Amino acid sequence: MSFYSPVRTNASEVAESDRLHLLKYAEDPNQCSIDTYVQRGGYGAWRKALTSMKPEEVITAIKDSGLRGRGGAGFPTGMKWGFVPKDSPKPRYLICNADESEPGTCKDRVIMERDPHAMIEGMAIAAYAIGSHLMFVYIRGEFAHCADQVEKAMNEAYAQGQLGKNIHGSGYDLDMIVHTGGGAYICGEETALLNSLEGLRGMSRIRPPFPAVAGLYGCPTIVNNVESLASVPHIINRGADWYRSLGTEKSAGSKLFSLSGHIKQPGNYEVELGFSLKTLIYDPKYGGGILDDKKLKGVIPGGASTPLLTPDMIEVGLDYESLPEKGSMLGSGAVIVFHEETCIVWVIQRLIHFFRHESCGKCTPCHEGTAWLEKLINRVESGKGEEGDIEKIDDICSNILGRTVCPLGDAAVMPIQSAIELYRDEWEHHIRHGKCLVKSQFGLK
Amino acid sequence: MAEAVTKKAPSNKATVTLTIDGRSVTVDKGTTVLEAARSLGIHVPTFCWHPKLKSVGSCRMCYVEIEKMPKLQVSCATEAMDGMVVATDSDLVKQGRRAVIEFILMNHPLDCPTCDQGGECQLQDLTFAHAIDDSRFAFQKERFVEDGSVSTFDDVQIGPEIMLNRNRCIQCYKCVRANKEAFGEFDLGAFERGNITEINAAPGRQVDNPFSGNLAEICPVGALTGMDWRYKIRVWLTKTVSSICPFTASGVNTLMYMDETKNRIYRTTSRRNDEIDDGWLSNVSRYAYQVVHADDRLLTPFIRRDGKQVEATWDEALDLIAKRLSDIQDQKGCVCIGGLVSPRLDNATLYGFNKLMRHVIGTNNVDYRTEYRMLPQTPEDHYQAACSQPIRISDVDDSDVIVVFGSDMLKEHPNLYLRIRKAFNFGAARIFILNPYSTKASDVAELEMVYHAGMDEVALGAVCLTAVEKGIVSSDETDRLREAIAFDSASAAALACGLEPDHLELMARAMAEARKVTFLAGEIISRSREREPIAAAICNLNRLFSINTKGQFGILPGHSNSRGAHHLGLAPDPPASIKAKLRSLWGQYPDTETNTTDSMMVQMRKEEIDGLIIMGANPVMLYPDRAFARESLEKLDFLVVSDLFETETTELADVVLPLSSWAEYTGDYVNLEGRVQTASKAIHPIGDSRPGYAIVEAIADRLENTLYTAEDYRRDEIDTMLEVDTACPVPNLYVPSKGGQDEDDAEYPIALMIGDDPHHRGHYTEKSASLTSHVGEAYLELSPDLAAGHEIKEGDSVRIESPVGKVVLPARISEHIRNDIVFVPRNFPSAPVTSLLMRKRRIDRVRISKVVR
Repeated sequence: MSFYSPVRTNASEVAESDRLHLLKYAEDPNQCSIDTYVQRGGYGAWRKALTSMKPEEVITAIKDSGLRGRGGAGFPTGMKWGFVPKDSPKPRYLICNADESEPGTCKDRVIMERDPHAMIEGMAIAAYAIGSHLMFVYIRGEFAHCADQVEKAMNEAYAQGQLGKNIHGSGYDLDMIVHTGGGAYICGEETALLNSLEGLRGMSRIRPPFPAVAGLYGCPTIVNNVESLASVPHIINRGADWYRSLGTEKSAGSKLFSLSGHIKQPGNYEVELGFSLKTLIYDPKYGGGILDDKKLKGVIPGGASTPLLTPDMIEVGLDYESLPEKGSMLGSGAVIVFHEETCIVWVIQRLIHFFRHESCGKCTPCHEGTAWLEKLINRVESGKGEEGDIEKIDDICSNILGRTVCPLGDAAVMPIQSAIELYRDEWEHHIRHGKCLVKSQFGLK
Repeated sequence: MAEAVTKKAPSNKATVTLTIDGRSVTVDKGTTVLEAARSLGIHVPTFCWHPKLKSVGSCRMCYVEIEKMPKLQVSCATEAMDGMVVATDSDLVKQGRRAVIEFILMNHPLDCPTCDQGGECQLQDLTFAHAIDDSRFAFQKERFVEDGSVSTFDDVQIGPEIMLNRNRCIQCYKCVRANKEAFGEFDLGAFERGNITEINAAPGRQVDNPFSGNLAEICPVGALTGMDWRYKIRVWLTKTVSSICPFTASGVNTLMYMDETKNRIYRTTSRRNDEIDDGWLSNVSRYAYQVVHADDRLLTPFIRRDGKQVEATWDEALDLIAKRLSDIQDQKGCVCIGGLVSPRLDNATLYGFNKLMRHVIGTNNVDYRTEYRMLPQTPEDHYQAACSQPIRISDVDDSDVIVVFGSDMLKEHPNLYLRIRKAFNFGAARIFILNPYSTKASDVAELEMVYHAGMDEVALGAVCLTAVEKGIVSSDETDRLREAIAFDSASAAALACGLEPDHLELMARAMAEARKVTFLAGEIISRSREREPIAAAICNLNRLFSINTKGQFGILPGHSNSRGAHHLGLAPDPPASIKAKLRSLWGQYPDTETNTTDSMMVQMRKEEIDGLIIMGANPVMLYPDRAFARESLEKLDFLVVSDLFETETTELADVVLPLSSWAEYTGDYVNLEGRVQTASKAIHPIGDSRPGYAIVEAIADRLENTLYTAEDYRRDEIDTMLEVDTACPVPNLYVPSKGGQDEDDAEYPIALMIGDDPHHRGHYTEKSASLTSHVGEAYLELSPDLAAGHEIKEGDSVRIESPVGKVVLPARISEHIRNDIVFVPRNFPSAPVTSLLMRKRRIDRVRISKVVR
């Protein structure tokens, strides 16, 4: 299949496991065809929900399962669905957020490429649960091949009567629209996504009102991540208790982690939440250790916007509670690994360039602050930094952190502040000596 | 007075109580922390917040600290909650705001000495307030450089009156938001993102919408500045004077900026009045001040000697007027003198004019409606009833159904047009528009129903019949209603006026189910020959749907003091209550025949009226039958015209008197709600011009009959008049509403509509350079199909012919107009479009052809 990107997965492990489920057929191109998907039990959960469950029962099942949003914020999915006002006369919308743009993250892509029906089935169940008759999937513009794949799957679903009018004789109608973004990171933020979908400039909205109350076109709207929705059919099929038995007490279920950077076997791996970060990096089943057997220098555990971890901090469970104890976050599950020959100032320069470029231009601290930070960090990275620059960078970060509408500002500064705290010597070396402390492949030598 | 507009009744809304800076305050639920603070007089600084736009919380200047919330909160987007404890001035708040200013100043050029916003710049003021004297930003500022820009300041002119400097922009997006949310315009946008976001005109567009002047006014910095004000004067050297827009019937509140030493007005801004204008000015209201300083203002009186008008002194002019009027009175009687006055003039002028005509001269030949055709001598009861209903502008906001009938709102009442948009965007209004041609408000309308020209009353009748037939409303007088409408069934009426039965039903249901209805009719009705039967149809609709018990309805007056003119008895045959009050004030009231503009003209042609005084009106240009008006006035023995400029009418005058504009004396105006508002004197009269009231009083003095024996009496008499209740009762039964129709004329197949361009109103506005820079000449608006049928392209010269006249105008092709109708603005003396009109027609019909060179 030309759609496939050659990303390594642990599909064979998942296939043998009774617990892991998301990547079970990730290495089988036939899984994209609805016939194969249905043969393997696909759309069974959809039929079950539609014909034998009330919408409230679906919401209860998801609440009981402990499923939390896999896009980064980790908000309980079932609770979110429960926020849709019962008495609103307005139409409701379900949106699948497939604008996967967090640097390092490529887990949703793998679902869309290799198991698109799982996502569509999850969307359908979610739409039914909230009483929506129209659902959208907002796919990152660069993922043109994913959009093709999803659209093809959608057409198959329509043809087989999984979508459309009077589905499975239930009297329930459900339509789906595939929409591709224009290439803005901010549109992965749910309110900016709504603006973009409405044809407006991709800028975040003030909350409250939350989208569940007033979202797309002012109507109740639920926005869920691809991976969250792809987990839904498994929960409906096998029950909330089963799902709850996976992972840890507060972080139920399994999750995909996109492992990248200086790692021997980069790829997408499904593990139960609470899985050891160290094992993920070093176990031959997963990362297989650091590239060229060099020493580990640091890890960004949850995508470009999460604070860094140093090697002594990696004995940590990958879940919603353990990582914050180490000062970081689970985020979207993008684990980026750096080995010893990486200049941390250079890493941060790459990151701030990204965030400055992606700042939407709404909040003063973010659009001006990221531009200023980029100039200062460029200066330090190029060896022309001045005494006081580190303090200035840290102070500017403080003036951005928590002071913007959406989390982009926070995302931009959290890795910087942690990089200064954890690797201050490298920053100081750049300033005082005009040289890099480490033998770095990129940036200042 | 209809009613002294009272303050809004206390709302029944739930309230919350919170503490701000140690002071307790109770506000309506839904109020923001910012507004709660401002209600205590605590000023929280802002850039992006605007009281009439949705909060976006982007500038982050309005930070406050709220107990139990770890982060600073933006007060503009945080709803006040019970028990909140807010600090607006804590150390953390100050630090947060200083950081925001530091961020904004990073790339903001410090070109304050050459920036027009200097002195009224929010960024300048807040930098000053926070005493920020240094920047930690030690890099080159980002700069937008315009290719080929000759200016060192990187300025780009993005519209006829708007200059953009992107370097000064602080990205508050207020301009883009106002344009979209308040005005429904999309000629301005934000491009790119992050800190290189730029505001600019939409590709291939100019920022020239009819409200574009507001964009420069609301810009908190000097990114958008007005061309009219640019580099002319520093704001701190001007004095501000409260005024009223004389071109809008809403009576938009304005502030004039003037320099006493130069006796000159430099600009107009809004003087926000939430009950009228929400702080928005149409460009007409904003740039009208330039009319005052137009270089062809009349500066001295003129007297016709040997066929030529020559300069004269006031004494010479007044003596001549007194002598000639006395002669006519002596020889032929006072009924041979008439007077026409503009309803844009202030109360003192209008009342004085009335007293001069009726009391001093003793004639009932008085009228202020010089633009309406075929005004009958008998009172139009239903029309008067529909015109005198109480209307409150702010009641549009929370109406859940708004019906616009026979009115091009944007052109006639720009601020009501904005209110309707607001009711749609910020309220929950369903809007229905019934017009003979498509209008700009259609984008917020649930339904725009375009009926055949000349079928106004039939369209309303069809709504009523639909409601009855479908059982939407019940009535035990159905037979009477059918009889009044003169159609047997809804379908027959719908077919006759060209409306869809489904649409009629939808509208009828909406009106029946509504909690609060606003029904507004406008100039298309008032200008119709059949205004009386159409008004009867409005009254019938009101009766069937009980509109006045659950909302408001009425025909809106056309001019800034039309309502005042009505109250002060300027109609030829005013309501009995007014006549009685005038009689008691003056001790007498003439019992002579009453004549309207139209019947006066008929009498002039018969040489039964020999002398005429016209003040501020231009019937030759605006009466809907130019040849008839001109020929009538030419028959006069003696014509006095007082105006700001030489006009088509002053050309015919024996005496021309220079009139002062509204900015040159203090005057009161009654807006369409009945609200009396004052425009204060901003400058001394230009040249030898005099205010209207002074002119009529001087004429009375020369006629040896002083209008007021003491200065106070003028005001006392006017106040007495304004207290008279003039509301005419709405008929308490269904009244006949069948209007007459013209005979078909196959040679002239296209209906012609005449009205105002959105950038002009009546005459005068073509003297404002800023308005003519938007639209400077008349045009013919026609549909693409009609144009194609005549092989006409945009801009081509088109000959428009009616049975009585011919005009050549450039074509403007519009998607919004039907194939059987064309529109021409009446505002330009160079295009005498009233010469196409015939006063006895209901609908003027024309034919068009391309001019081949």
